[in-house]
Amino acid sequence: MGQVLRYTAYLLRSYARDRTALFFGFLFPLLFMALFGVLNFGGSVRVSLAVVDEAKNEQSASFIASLRAIETLQVTTSEREAALADLTANDRDLVLVIPTDFRIAPAAPGANVPKLTLYENSAEPEAAAIGRAILSSVVNQLSFAVTRTAPVIAIEREEITGRNLEYVDFLTPGILGMTIMQLGISGVAFSFVAERQRGVIRRIMATPIPRRNYMAAHVLQRLILAVVQVLILLAVAVVAFKVTVVGGIGSLLLVAVLGAVVFLCLGFAVTGLLATENQAAVVTQVVTLPQLFLSGVFFSRDAVPAFLKPVADLLPLTFLNDALRDIATTGASLADVSPQILGLVVWAVVSFFAAYRLFRLDP
Amino acid sequence: MAPIVSVRDLRRSYGQIKAVDGVSFDVEEREIFALLGPNGAGKTTTVEILEGLREADSGTAVVAGVDVRRDPSGVKERIGVQLQQSAFPENFIAREIVELFALFYGKRVDSLALLRSVGLEDKAKQKQEKLSGGQRQRLSIAVALVNEPQVLFLDEPTTGLDPQARRNLWELVRAIRARGTTVFLTTHYLDEAEALCDRVAIMDAGRIVALDSPPALIQALLRRGFSKPVVQQQANLDDVFLDLTGHALREE
Repeated sequence: MGQVLRYTAYLLRSYARDRTALFFGFLFPLLFMALFGVLNFGGSVRVSLAVVDEAKNEQSASFIASLRAIETLQVTTSEREAALADLTANDRDLVLVIPTDFRIAPAAPGANVPKLTLYENSAEPEAAAIGRAILSSVVNQLSFAVTRTAPVIAIEREEITGRNLEYVDFLTPGILGMTIMQLGISGVAFSFVAERQRGVIRRIMATPIPRRNYMAAHVLQRLILAVVQVLILLAVAVVAFKVTVVGGIGSLLLVAVLGAVVFLCLGFAVTGLLATENQAAVVTQVVTLPQLFLSGVFFSRDAVPAFLKPVADLLPLTFLNDALRDIATTGASLADVSPQILGLVVWAVVSFFAAYRLFRLDP
Repeated sequence: MAPIVSVRDLRRSYGQIKAVDGVSFDVEEREIFALLGPNGAGKTTTVEILEGLREADSGTAVVAGVDVRRDPSGVKERIGVQLQQSAFPENFIAREIVELFALFYGKRVDSLALLRSVGLEDKAKQKQEKLSGGQRQRLSIAVALVNEPQVLFLDEPTTGLDPQARRNLWELVRAIRARGTTVFLTTHYLDEAEALCDRVAIMDAGRIVALDSPPALIQALLRRGFSKPVVQQQANLDDVFLDLTGHALREE
């Protein structure tokens, strides 16, 4: 164990001196964030929301008022038919129907709670996704507020009104997921193929270090890097891009580490198929590029064509991004993202066995 | 005294090719022993079997009292190696490379003293990938000594070095032997074998075709009636080169 930890420390120190690795691990994701978040999609995304108030009571009015206070939302009120016609005509992103039984009050156990109906414009998937995230966060906060004592309500409400989900808020978890994927797949493939080709691994295997210790140090180094990357990227996102992270940092880190385990195993499995750095360049692209576009890094997955959806839904980066995004933008708990966590665990098990079968230290 | 390396009828094939085809020899303690031969003669395969890096198909090899085929990792603990076509990990300074490899043996070493013993003390803080070819070979020897090995294996240690660096490395090898370590090397430079080694084994097509001290091998050849036109020369081109450029080591 001492050998593994000390070796890990040496590996981290050499990583800190590797400019290329630092660029791809830290600067590159931040550049992406800057590029997409500030230059191109800068400013807030405006989501046009039509509210159909069928309750027409005091509470629905106050609910609508709190929605109006959210900068990102352009709230209009209208009748159901007209609103849906606007949605079809692409004039609205979302239509929210407040039912006649709407109330903001604690429900008795087992009693029916009022159901809000949300119609989404499938032609505007990003706006719809952001709007949906905002609405679910408002509803969550309201439910939370109602079940607590009075002063808490006030504080929570202020948070709701101050909340302004911008594109960078949506983007940041995607960038985290992308960075973890790159760390696992490209990070493993390029360094191990190069070290195997140059005879570095052969030289180390001429010493008595057990292979499991060698592997453990390399895995541990990358898991630590994943945590450091997430923390630094989040810090920069919050400070420089004013990103709001609603959920717990602990939950984010836990999901990030689980994601890192999945992508490290995939990385080792893929590396087992590679002999040269040229092959690594091609194969890592083949593995990562589709996930970059199908797993909701930059855009909502709703934009994925229907025939690709079944595949996109099962990609490892999809599970990772969805979990990170739900935690970061809507404050979901680990229990809320348990389907995604289950997906990641399945991927971890499958890819661990693939790595075990395919990965070789010897050339 | 029992030989420190003892090889009996060692065989290893790659498909149809018999890389090592029934090799037997002994190396005595504190000897500088060389395996000579053209490329593809089976030198590296033989050495890698002795280092516990490759499995033999049959035969026995005992190194420093350990049966290589039964306990390859036990052999690795007792020997030092310098491999052909190998490299150290990048972004480490020379001193860290020594300490890192000591860690692989579960040891702590005085890395500066070890670097001093190979003449690299002033390069301790230099990244290893920035060292010259000769310096890297000496670093590689320092690394091979971290576990105070009983036998030091050097696979073509002077390939690619300039004449000054080669002679410097010979001095280093002699100094290591003087401290009591057996040195087992492969080379295809015959002048190197003649200048450095107590005994040499000449290998060709997977077999050992001669094994003795360099003077004895030459005498045996002459006794077989060999002669070549004698040109009286008090010096050769090597001497000219070294006379003009000196023995001092160069920075590459």
